[in-house]
Amino acid sequence: MSARYVQVTCSMVERVAADTERYMSLLSVRQKLVASNIANADTPGYHTKDINFQEEFQNAISGTNPTVVETQGLYMKNDGNNVNMDREMRLLSENDMRFSLASNLVRSELKSVRLALDGGGSQS
Amino acid sequence: MSSSLFGVFSVSSSGMEAQRIRTQLLAENIANAETTRTPEGGPYRRKDAVFTTINPEQPFSSVLDAQMDAMSGVAVREVVVDQSAPQRRYLPGHPDADKDGYVSFPQLNPAQEMVDLMGASSSYQANVAAVSTAKDMIQRSLDLFR
Repeated sequence: MSARYVQVTCSMVERVAADTERYMSLLSVRQKLVASNIANADTPGYHTKDINFQEEFQNAISGTNPTVVETQGLYMKNDGNNVNMDREMRLLSENDMRFSLASNLVRSELKSVRLALDGGGSQS
Repeated sequence: MSSSLFGVFSVSSSGMEAQRIRTQLLAENIANAETTRTPEGGPYRRKDAVFTTINPEQPFSSVLDAQMDAMSGVAVREVVVDQSAPQRRYLPGHPDADKDGYVSFPQLNPAQEMVDLMGASSSYQANVAAVSTAKDMIQRSLDLFR
């Protein structure tokens, strides 16, 4: 009986959670790249790295590692470095907010499942 | 798929370390702006850090991660010593004056060092911000368990 409950719960959570997990994973990868860009803001010859977020999210099912590309169209400094600190700081906080949104989504999903298991909280 | 946010810490800490070394060199330059005597002989020579990208140390098993190549930390590759000719000032009474009465002073501009110092400081802050953001993200993931 309880095993069945767990199974039902899992499949309920999984639908939304799988997409959100992918989303959060991509955000984590992007966060690492942003951190690399910031760390190398003064490294001669370093080129800004990023992932194509939309495209990688569309590839959700394949489960492959996202492709890292060099961001084009940024101003190149004399030392061959094109890290734009304003862009990186924007991405840093943007990633943070997106991650916050996704984790809140998962949390509310878990909360509603828990609520259903509790019978709408009438018993407690 | 690798998605460990812990890698951010090694990248950003390498950035902080590199900027700290740069700050130390800049402080050394400013402190020695008027130094006319060094163990190597002659006036003090300006030092500068040259940065290079490195693969950061990975925590735990993520060494095997294919993603590792995409992440790059930073390290000080070498410290370059300025080889330009020293600044000569006419100070005949100075103990380090040559036979013509000229003293060799370091060829460095404290204003330039200060500007570099501000750059190093803001880069350090940016790395701290990256650490703090990653920390928040990890914390929020952990909060899902509660």
